[in-house]
Amino acid sequence: MATGTAVDVVMPQMGVSVSEGTVTRWLKSIGDHVDADESIVEISTDKVDTEVPSPGSGTLSEILVEEGQTVEVGTLLGRIGEGPVVEAAPPPAATQPAADEAAPAASESVAAPVAPQPAPPPAQRESVETEPARELEHAGNGHDRAFVSPVVARIATEHGIDPATVPGSGRGGRVTKKDIVSFIEEGPAQTPPEATTARPEPAPRQAAQPQPRPAPAAPPTLEPGEAIEPMNAMRRGIAEHMRRSLDTAAHVTSAIEVDMSRVVAIRERLKPELQRSYGVNLTYLSFVARATVETLRDWPWVNAELRGESIVTHNYVNLGFAVALEGGKGLIVPVLKHAEGLNLLGMARGVADLAERARTKKLLPDDVQGGTFTITNPGSFGTFHGTPVINQPQSGILGTYAVVKRAWVIRDENGNDALAIRPIMNLTLTYDHRLVDGAYAGGFLRELREKLETWGETDY
Amino acid sequence: MRRDKRVIVIGEDVGVYGGAFKVTLGFQEEFGPWRVIDAPLSETAILGGATGAAIVGMRPVAEMQFADFISCGWDHLVTVAAKQRWRAGTPIPITVRLPSGGGFSGGPFHSQNPESSFAHIPGLKCVCPATPADAKGLLISAIEDPNPVLFFEHKHLYRRVKGEVPDERYTTPIGEARLHQEGDDLTVVTWGAMLYTAAEAAAKLDDLSVEILDLRTVMPWDKEAVLASVRKTSKVLILHEDTKSGGFGAEIAATIAEEAFADLDAPIKRIAAPDTPVPFSPPLERAFIPQVDDVVAGLRELADY
Amino acid sequence: MATARVAEPGGSLQEVRRWGLDREDLLQIYRNLMITRGVEERGHILYRQGKIPGSFYTGRGNEAAAVGIATAMGPDDVGAPLHRDMGVHITRGVEPWRIFANYMGRVDGPAQGRDGNVHMADHRLGLIAMVSHLPAMLPVAVGCALAFRIREERRVAVAWYGEGASARGDTHEGMNFAGVRKLPVVFVCDNNQWAYSTPTYLEYAVEHLADRAEAYGFDGVVVDGTDVLAVYHEARRAIEKARDGGGPTLIECQTLRMEGHAVHDDAFYVPKELFERWAERDPIERYRSWLREHADLTHEEEDEIGVQVKKLLNEALQRAEESPLPDPATLRDGVYATQDDLETPHHK
Repeated sequence: MATGTAVDVVMPQMGVSVSEGTVTRWLKSIGDHVDADESIVEISTDKVDTEVPSPGSGTLSEILVEEGQTVEVGTLLGRIGEGPVVEAAPPPAATQPAADEAAPAASESVAAPVAPQPAPPPAQRESVETEPARELEHAGNGHDRAFVSPVVARIATEHGIDPATVPGSGRGGRVTKKDIVSFIEEGPAQTPPEATTARPEPAPRQAAQPQPRPAPAAPPTLEPGEAIEPMNAMRRGIAEHMRRSLDTAAHVTSAIEVDMSRVVAIRERLKPELQRSYGVNLTYLSFVARATVETLRDWPWVNAELRGESIVTHNYVNLGFAVALEGGKGLIVPVLKHAEGLNLLGMARGVADLAERARTKKLLPDDVQGGTFTITNPGSFGTFHGTPVINQPQSGILGTYAVVKRAWVIRDENGNDALAIRPIMNLTLTYDHRLVDGAYAGGFLRELREKLETWGETDY
Repeated sequence: MRRDKRVIVIGEDVGVYGGAFKVTLGFQEEFGPWRVIDAPLSETAILGGATGAAIVGMRPVAEMQFADFISCGWDHLVTVAAKQRWRAGTPIPITVRLPSGGGFSGGPFHSQNPESSFAHIPGLKCVCPATPADAKGLLISAIEDPNPVLFFEHKHLYRRVKGEVPDERYTTPIGEARLHQEGDDLTVVTWGAMLYTAAEAAAKLDDLSVEILDLRTVMPWDKEAVLASVRKTSKVLILHEDTKSGGFGAEIAATIAEEAFADLDAPIKRIAAPDTPVPFSPPLERAFIPQVDDVVAGLRELADY
Repeated sequence: MATARVAEPGGSLQEVRRWGLDREDLLQIYRNLMITRGVEERGHILYRQGKIPGSFYTGRGNEAAAVGIATAMGPDDVGAPLHRDMGVHITRGVEPWRIFANYMGRVDGPAQGRDGNVHMADHRLGLIAMVSHLPAMLPVAVGCALAFRIREERRVAVAWYGEGASARGDTHEGMNFAGVRKLPVVFVCDNNQWAYSTPTYLEYAVEHLADRAEAYGFDGVVVDGTDVLAVYHEARRAIEKARDGGGPTLIECQTLRMEGHAVHDDAFYVPKELFERWAERDPIERYRSWLREHADLTHEEEDEIGVQVKKLLNEALQRAEESPLPDPATLRDGVYATQDDLETPHHK
C-alpha cells in the first residue's frame, strides 16, 4: 500500500511455481534518485535472474531487504519517496494490485527486515480483503433438541436409552455422539429397563445419585477352569441400573393370588374372534394390563415418581413392558403410551407390536422412554413368584407369573367349603416404600384382583 | 533411471531445459537424449508413444508440461492405456507426471486438478502426494506399478514445501492413506496441497482435536482408513482443490453415507472449488481455491453441529 | 526437399500501392508496429514490478508477421491469433488500455480477469480468444470458414499456430478438412524456431512447414516474417484467394523468438549468435528504414509518431490501473450461456 506518495518496490513472481526470490544487487542506494522503469535492483530466482524496473520516480528512501536475502514473492523490498513527477509514475490507486499482495507482507517485513521471511501461504494474507464468495453449505435444516443423528440413534437404541434424558451440547441443544457416550460411560447409567419421562432437569437428579465409574480394571488373573469375556455395553448398563435402583428405592414386594377363572373363560371366547377379525393374539397379559391401568386410577402413587422431596403424579399411564432379548443378551422395556385410553383390543395390539419390534430391533428412541409404571412377566418361564427391580424413576413394578391349575378352596352354592380346580396366577407388586406403604400397596393389589376375578362378560 | 535402463523420460522441454519446473534438470546430461527425450509439442505422441514403448518392455515416465494439457492426450490414455490390460491382457506400465493445481494466477489452462476425471476411468491409478517423502516413495511405486499411473505433482509444493527424505530407495504403497495428525473430534480427508491448508486451519482451532487423513492416492483410495476415522469421530470434512460437483470428494462422501451411516453425528461436509474454470485475477482465484479461513469456518460449523 | 514458394521481399512504393496501400496506410502500419512493441515492452516492465500476476508472454520479433497479416484482413473477417500475435489485436483495433487491464487481471480487460495475458479477444472486432492447448483454435477457425462457405459469404477466417503446435493432430485434422472442402481459411504458421526450449529439428522433419500444404491440397508459401510488407503482400494474396473461393493457403512466417518462452525464461538454450543475427533484422527497424528510403518518412513524422505512441501507452496504463479488480462474488456468473449471449457480432 502506498503510504503518502511513497511507492513500493516488491519482489515479483517470475514464473508460476516460483515462490521466492533473492536480492542479488541493489543498483541504487538510499538517497539516489531513480526514474520510473529504470532498473533498481537485481534479483535471482529458481527460474531466471533479472532486473526489477522501478515502479515510480523519486528517491530510494528505504531498503528493507538486503543483498543476499531470500524473501517470498510479494515482499516489500524497498520504498521510493517523493521525487519529480514523471508521467509514468502511477497514482496511488495504481499500486493496488501489487500493494494488496504486499501490504500484509509489508507489515511482516517491516517488523523483521533482516530475517528471511518464513513462508506463510499467500492465501492467508489476502483473506482480509476478499468477501467470501464461497458459499459454505450449511448442514441440514434447522433442528432442535429433538433431532437425533444416526449415530446417536444407534447408540441410544443399543443401550435402550432415551436421548431426551441425555444432556445435549450440540446445535439447538441436540444430543451429540460425545454427549451420549459420556452419558453411558460416566453419567448415571440410563440403561434398558429405564424408561423415564423427559423432564427439564435431569442433571440435579443425576447429580443427587452420583455413580462413580470404576476405573477400567486390569483383566483379572484366571484360575484353571476359568474363562473370561468382557461385559458389553448393554450388560454394563443393566448392571449399573439395577444397582442404582436398589440403592435408590426402598424395595418391598407384596404378593397376591388371583383366581383367573373368569379371565380364562372370557379369553377362550374372545381369542379366536380377535385373531380372526383383527389378527391380534389375546394374551393374559393384556387382561392384566387392562385391569392394572384401571386400578392405577384409584392408587395414583403407584404410578408416581419421587423427585427430591416432591411426589409427582400423572393423569395418564405410560405402561412399560419388560421384554427379554434373545439368548439372554439383555432386556429392554418398550413403553405403551397413554395406555389408559386403550381397551382390551388396543392393549393386546399395542403389546404385541412393541414386543415384535423389540425382537426385530425396530424400536425407535421414543418407544423406550417416558414410562410411568412397568409390568414384567417372568411367569412365562413357569415361575410363580419373584421380586423384580423397580424401573427408575418409577415407584412400582408389577410382576405376573404362571397361571397354574391348583386345588382351590371355594365356597359352594350352599355356603360350604369345597375343593375346585382353578387357574391361579400370582401377582407381585414391588413398590418403593419411601412413597408407598404396605397398606397402600395391599389396597392396589386387592382392587386389581377384584377386577380380574369379576371380569364382566361385556367388559372390554 | 540409474538402476533400470528401461526407465525413460519423455515430455516437452524435459531434456535441455530440464523440464518446465526443472524436475529433470541435469537428467539429459547424465542419461543422454535417448533416455531423456525432448518430444515434439504433441501429447498424443508423448502418451501414445509411452504406451507403445511400455508394451515392448520399457518403463516410460511421461511428463505433461501442465496437468491441464492431458486433455490433448485423453484419447490415448483412456482408450488405449487404461483398457489394454483388461481387454487384451497387455499391461501398460507407464507413469504420467502432471504438474497440477493453482494459486498463482496461472489461469484456466495452467491450474486445474483433473484427478477425478481419471479416477473415474477403470484401469488408471491416480496418485496425489503431499509431502516430499511421499513424493519419492510414491513415484518409485508408480514406476514399478504395472498399470498406467497418473502422478499429480501440485505446483504449489514444488518449492514451497520442504521435508526430510530418506536417502535410500523405498516405496510407498499406492492405495494407502497416511494419518497426518490424530484427533478425536473431527476428521478431515484431503490430499495434495490442500493438506497444508487443512493443517493450518486445524492449528487455528485449538479447542478442537482434528484428525487429518492424507489420502495420498485417489485411485485406489484407502476406504478402510477413511471409514475407521469416520467411525471414530463421527464428523467428517472432505477437502479438495478440484471443483466440487463430481470432484472425487463426492465419491468419498457417497461411500461414507453408504457404509457408515449409523456412525455419523453430522452431515458429511465437502469444501472444494466452485464449479467454474480456474480464474486468473487474484481476487477471483482466491475466491476459487479453498482458503485456510474457509476450512476454519467449515470445521467450526461441523464441530458445532 | 522444399516445395513451398518463397515470397519476395517488400518492394517499392509503387509496388506497394498496387497492393492497395497508400502512404497513410503505411504510416498506420508503422504506428501499429510501434504500439505492439510498446505494449509488450511495458508489460514486461509491469511484470517485473509485480503488477502482473501469473506469467507473461511476448511476441518480440513477431510484430511484423502479426501486423502484416492483420492489415490484410477485411473488416468482416475473423481470426484466432495466439500469444505471439499481439500485433493482430492492435491492428484490428483493440485499445491498449484494455490489453494492460487484461494483463493485470482487471475487470475492463476483454477477459474481465477470468483469463490473463493475451488470452483475450474482442469479438466485436472479429477475434476469437485463444486457449493454451495449441493449436486447438485451428480446427475452430476452420469451422468459421465452413460457416462462411455454407452461407456463401465473402468472409475469411485466419488461423494462427506455431511450429511447435504443428506437431499436434489438430493441425493435420484442421488442414485436411479445410483442404477437402476448399474452405475460405488462411493458415498462418508463426515459425519462430523455438517451442519453449525445443528447436525446430526436434519438432518436424521437413524443411519448411509450408511444404505440408501440398499434402492437404493447397499452396504453401514461406515468407520472411520480419518483413512486414512481404507478409502483407502474401496475406493479401491468400485472403483474397480464399474470399474468391480459391480455398486455403498456408503462410509460414519465419522469425526468431527474440525473448524466452515467457518472461521467466532466459532462453539460455538459444545460441547467442542466433539472437545477434536476428537482432539485425528487427522488424521495426527494417520497416523504419524502408519508410525512410521509399516513403520519405521524415524525422518530424517519426518523432511525432513516437510521441503519440508513448502518450497513448502512458494514458492507457493509467486508465488500466484505475480499472478495478474483479469482485469475487461474480465468480460463478456466466458459467452457462443464456439466450441473450447469442446476440454477438459473430452471429451476424
